[in-house]
Amino acid sequence: MSLIPNRSRAAALAAGLLGTVLALTACGSGDDATESDVETHTVQADNGAVEVPVDPQRVVTIGNTTLPFIDMGGEPVAVTEVSESERALIPEAQQAVYEGAAVLASSADQVDMEELASLEPDLILAQFPASEFEPLQEQLETIAPTVFWGLDVEWKALADGLGEAGAVSDALDEQKAAFDERIAGMQATYAEVIAGTSFVNVDRWASSDAGTFSISDFGCVEIAQGDLGMDFPQAAEGEDPLGWTSLPFEQIAGLSEYDVITYPVDAEGNPTEAFAPVVETNTWQALPAVGSGHALGLFCPGNNSYGSVLQYLDSLEAALATLPTE
Amino acid sequence: MAALALRHDGPDTAAVSGPRRRALGLTAALVLLLVLVVLSVMIGSTTIAPTVVWDALVHPAADIDQFAIRDYRLPRTAVGLVVGMALGVAGALIQAVTRNPLADPGIFGVHAGASFAVTVAVGVFGVSGVAGYMWFAFAGALAVTLLVLALGSTRRGRSPVVMVLAGVCVGAVLGGARDGLQLTDPDAFDAMRSWVAGSLVGRPLDVVWPVLPLFAIALVLAFAVTGPLNAMALGDDLAKSHGVRLVRTRVLAVAALTLLAGGATAIAGPIGFVGLMVPHVARWLVGPDQRWIFAYSVLLAPSLLLAADILGRIVMRPSEIPVGIVTAFVGAPVLLALVRRKKASGL
Repeated sequence: MSLIPNRSRAAALAAGLLGTVLALTACGSGDDATESDVETHTVQADNGAVEVPVDPQRVVTIGNTTLPFIDMGGEPVAVTEVSESERALIPEAQQAVYEGAAVLASSADQVDMEELASLEPDLILAQFPASEFEPLQEQLETIAPTVFWGLDVEWKALADGLGEAGAVSDALDEQKAAFDERIAGMQATYAEVIAGTSFVNVDRWASSDAGTFSISDFGCVEIAQGDLGMDFPQAAEGEDPLGWTSLPFEQIAGLSEYDVITYPVDAEGNPTEAFAPVVETNTWQALPAVGSGHALGLFCPGNNSYGSVLQYLDSLEAALATLPTE
Repeated sequence: MAALALRHDGPDTAAVSGPRRRALGLTAALVLLLVLVVLSVMIGSTTIAPTVVWDALVHPAADIDQFAIRDYRLPRTAVGLVVGMALGVAGALIQAVTRNPLADPGIFGVHAGASFAVTVAVGVFGVSGVAGYMWFAFAGALAVTLLVLALGSTRRGRSPVVMVLAGVCVGAVLGGARDGLQLTDPDAFDAMRSWVAGSLVGRPLDVVWPVLPLFAIALVLAFAVTGPLNAMALGDDLAKSHGVRLVRTRVLAVAALTLLAGGATAIAGPIGFVGLMVPHVARWLVGPDQRWIFAYSVLLAPSLLLAADILGRIVMRPSEIPVGIVTAFVGAPVLLALVRRKKASGL
């Protein structure tokens, strides 16, 4: 007599069949070359050491790897969906690459494994919550070598990992050189402003409650703070990020204590749609920093790839140039 | 009608008092409301000196703290007053019409209709902001109530029990449809999250003015049917023998409660327990006479809402808790204590 309940047995049978189908599909790749013909190397990621092709031809990106990979010149054959608002912020050439890829699903946990296997990828690059990866890991690794990072990996480490695994290191090296040069240049040019100015970064998102905003310490402001050394308020060690706390509009008055306020704008320099209600308040207009032109609108197309961060630095440098250097 | 009401006063009504004591109680409720209005303007998530508050009202100037009073606290207090009054009277109406002391304005599907309409507005039409989707909420609440009235109609007229069942059914269906839409469009769910929680924050007076005339009509209708509702509490047959037109009374009462609950929900989102608890407490204080219940509800409901909103501003400074969450946290145990009393108020 079996101790496994009928439903559990059925589930186990289904899982076994799916695994077999996936394995057969993966084994049945049309390429005549055997695994030993493909030159490989080992990369390290959150799921350990992974043997990947040196020159992958059919890369699938899942989760947050899509835009950084495309930013480095990668051309995935399939991706998980990136929101329209995020896509609108990337260069047109990169939008075209995204549109040329098959969209598998809206998120990692929605990916149809049979469809993914039918695309015959030779590399899967993935970043999404580790708790979601665990149940998918075996299926993904059956289909193709899978390089996975959780959400707590720093963006530069993710870029390095993507560059190495996705064979786009050359473009990445150029971006890193441009980034380092820009940071050094800004630190030299605006040394006095950076050292003697108290900044505060405020934000508001489409999901923010009506009548609220946040003092945000994540996103592009991390570049200004961490790489340039600008003085922004940040959460105490071990505490939740400041940006998670919604503040009612009456607390806009509290921004008076800072020398310079930074806030989000779109590519044209207008306050983002979500942030516009803050700018329209009498309280905002009465802030000393706003009256003296020390409220700086900054364009942040993303903070998880060098290309988008460089665009942010363009915007920040142009804004800093408007401040007095004393 | 007063005689009819007094005859119904019995051992299940805890604190029935004479007209003078009821009037005194009403005055006390008015004073309580005025105190809470003052506190609502004085207390916020930031500390502003009372002199600045006074100046903001009496000597307005382009001062940053005065803006906080005039632009946020005053409108928020006014919205709390209007929404509270509407929810209180709507609750009293629904409890009288259904003869159920634990009925809530949401029982006719008002909240479900408004929530579904807002989900459609945000997810399908891309509407953003309270001012944008409040009319969808209002239309959704009205449409669902009309549907419930139609479904609740039987050959013998409109039965409260059938109407409540129809409301529960329609509410369940629309709740499922709303959840389905939100699952397919998480962005829409994000955008309407604060509305769903029920909040007075970020509601400018602009969203209140258009609804005020409708509320005024609804209040007139509500007080006009208090007499017939008193008679109907004794049973339909007895009410008919006293010349009460049952169908007309119920239709007018449902129309009034829909305008009130629909409008309040459109402005602030679904706020529970206020419409349920306040008429219940009022009945416990003054007995089953709907005229007094309605009068007390008009004053006590905004008091409860403003007190909950003030609490929500200070317990998690510098952040705030939406008033709908506070009323649920505070209201649920209070209501439980009330209904477990030996002399719980009945209809």
